[in-house]
Amino acid sequence: MSIANRENSNPAIEVVGLRKSFGSQLALDGLDLRVESGQIAGFLGPNGSGKSTTIRILLGLLRAEATTVRVLGGDPWRDAVGLHRRIAYVPGDVNLWPNLTGGQIIDILGGLRGGVNKARRDELLQRFELDPSKKARAYSKGNRQKVALVSALASDAELLILDEPTSGLDPIMEAAFRACIRDVQAQGRSVLLSSHIFAEVENLCDTVTIIRQGKTVESGTLAELRHLQRSTVSVIMDDPAANLSLVPGVNDLVEQGGRAVFTVADADLGSVLSDLARWKPRALVASPPSLEELFLRHYSTELVADGVNVP
Amino acid sequence: MTAGTVRATGGSREALVGRLPARSSLQGLRDMVVFLARRNWLRLLVWVVVLVGMIPFVYESQRAAFPTAADREAYASIANTPSVAALTGTAYAANTLGGILVLKIWMTLAITLAFVTVFLVTRNGRADEESGRTELLRANVVGRHAYTLANYLVVGAFNVVAGLGIAGTAMALTLPVMGSLVLGASLTGVGLFFLGVAAIGSQMSSSGRGANSFAATVIGIAYVLRSIGDLNGTVTKPGWISWLSPIGWGQEMRAFGLNRWWPLMFLVVGAILLCWVSVKVEARRDLGFGVLPDRPGPLAARRFLLSPFGLAVRLQRSTIVGWFIAMVVMALLYGSVASAMVDLLGTNPVFSKVFEGQGQSITNSVVGLLVMLNAIVASAFVVESALQLRVEESSGRAEPQLAGSVSRLRWAGERLLVPVLGSFLMLIVGGAVLGAAYGASQADPSQLGVLLGASITYWPGVLLTAGVCVLLIAFVPREAAAFSWAYFSLIVIISVFGDLFSLPPQIINNTPLTATPRLPAETLSAVPLLILAGIALLLWAIGLLRYTRRDLVQGA
Repeated sequence: MSIANRENSNPAIEVVGLRKSFGSQLALDGLDLRVESGQIAGFLGPNGSGKSTTIRILLGLLRAEATTVRVLGGDPWRDAVGLHRRIAYVPGDVNLWPNLTGGQIIDILGGLRGGVNKARRDELLQRFELDPSKKARAYSKGNRQKVALVSALASDAELLILDEPTSGLDPIMEAAFRACIRDVQAQGRSVLLSSHIFAEVENLCDTVTIIRQGKTVESGTLAELRHLQRSTVSVIMDDPAANLSLVPGVNDLVEQGGRAVFTVADADLGSVLSDLARWKPRALVASPPSLEELFLRHYSTELVADGVNVP
Repeated sequence: MTAGTVRATGGSREALVGRLPARSSLQGLRDMVVFLARRNWLRLLVWVVVLVGMIPFVYESQRAAFPTAADREAYASIANTPSVAALTGTAYAANTLGGILVLKIWMTLAITLAFVTVFLVTRNGRADEESGRTELLRANVVGRHAYTLANYLVVGAFNVVAGLGIAGTAMALTLPVMGSLVLGASLTGVGLFFLGVAAIGSQMSSSGRGANSFAATVIGIAYVLRSIGDLNGTVTKPGWISWLSPIGWGQEMRAFGLNRWWPLMFLVVGAILLCWVSVKVEARRDLGFGVLPDRPGPLAARRFLLSPFGLAVRLQRSTIVGWFIAMVVMALLYGSVASAMVDLLGTNPVFSKVFEGQGQSITNSVVGLLVMLNAIVASAFVVESALQLRVEESSGRAEPQLAGSVSRLRWAGERLLVPVLGSFLMLIVGGAVLGAAYGASQADPSQLGVLLGASITYWPGVLLTAGVCVLLIAFVPREAAAFSWAYFSLIVIISVFGDLFSLPPQIINNTPLTATPRLPAETLSAVPLLILAGIALLLWAIGLLRYTRRDLVQGA
């Protein structure tokens, strides 16, 4: 219900039917993306599916073809300069000037956005344990990523666009990043988070958009997405007469000894459980589908076609 | 059986650990040579063709200019002027076609070969190491020195092939066999020596840019040293200072003159020694680091750095300083030589006649040419500096900047202020230094003002060249660098050597450099300057308009 309310207010990002081609190659073909104001939105898709292209369009670095693209209520191409004062961006592949120091680069990129909050900058440097006096050429991938992150997080931007921001970070730094993002949300700001790390998206994001070959294939809250997919049930029964394959609603059944694993749609869960009760199961675990399973299932047809074994 | 197993284990261990260390630092050398040849073959081929191709062009034009032995004898009697000595060396055999060929083209070939060699060594060496590609290679079964040595071998082979090609072409043009061989060998030798210099540069600096500027500085010093030596010498014997310069060693092989082979030994031994030292240094240092240490830098950016203009100035700081040093050294050298040059030319009836025939005084013609050299340096700077706009884009560094609250037009415009203002300053400094040096030698202080003005006259033409770069960056971003430098080379070759290649005067006189009134030889007129400025403005406007409307294009 709260989500329905939010949909009436102005979204931070609204993209409908986005198309973009490079020469004859079609990169985006009907992509939809919506980030509600004050929410953290996950943006998932395999390599080359068009995530970075979408983000560059949202930043007005590439030009969209005949579509509705609204960022903070403006047109990202036409209003780029004004909008960028309200947006902070972390690129996926952070490339820095080798002979400037991290501290200088944080200030330069922040300065182009309209200034850096000095106190927050210093706090973030501590939090991410980054030495700002080193030349960028001496930084590791993770440290280059931190430079871009500190510069973005030290701003007061209303919208943060983060393209795989934790790809080079260690788990401790990743935890620090999550804490920072929660602070950002607590301040009422919005975040678009493109990521490959399912745990991170499940942990942080209110909504998720999954794209494939330049098209949106799934979007909604995590609860909504899970609802569409079957839960996995693992059960141990001693009754030799048990025959799960006869129970309506049981799918993907695998039996081994007294242990059976199957999937069941949320709607069938009640009737399946009452059928099971006859055989007096000793143990039963039902788990909702993980984001990873959701994601892989979307690509499973593709992967099976390519000969990859999907669990 | 147990013993057998032990022996077998011992044997395989010996194969892995015991036998390899002797050769392991060169493990994979052959694969690396093949890899480098494959990666560079087109580049190498193009340079061989360009270098060798200059020989028949210049030979034919000189044969047409001095068809008879009498013409050549006449030329030889006036050829050994201080300006020739300073620029290209002593004219020791100007009464033969081979000697004239050496006089006209040897220095150009030697300097070009030296720079090409340096850029190749750095490209495959330090630049690869800086970008992390060397790490990728060395993480495989590749010895520590295999890639480096393969680089030296491939670039060395390129120098040998270029030398052989030049010698073969000279022979095919019916020049004396021995002279042709010495000609090729002297150029190969100079190239090889600077291969060694570039190798050392790659060990000293931790960046490709630093390695290149180290080697370029050495080339500059070598050139100036032999310039001083040749100025202080006679036709038969250069000043001793020339013997301090590897370029001097190559010259002193005296192709088509004495045909000496022994100076080649200095060059080759020097090259081997330098490469050996750099391999030794490589064995002792960590991958990715240079011998010269990186110092910790500032914790925060100063205000100046926060504007696109300030950032562009900071990023190009060291190259800008380099350009200014080159400009000042050149202006000082030529400014002080110009009067001696003019005096000698003035006493010669043949030259006086040629220049008077064109309605110009010799003095002003020579000085006018020197001022144009200023404009060439400023044009090269403008091309290099304008292309930095594209470097930022292709490397992906433009993206986070433009994600800031700055318009494309302001960002590009502020960055391009660097070549615009920088070239103006360079023309002022170059003109003033040239005028001061020339004026001092003439005891005529008014020359400072005259040549300062003459130098600034080239600004519209230089801005036109910058406009061509802006246009190329806007419309063909991926090819912009190659096309811009091709354009620059073309206008320089047409402007300076157009006569040498017998091009029609409509072409020779209408490059941005030659369309500018060549003060003080010609009179100042506003029309050509206005036309140049107008074209420049148009190119800039179209280029910037397009630049603000196109997608950003990452990657080379």
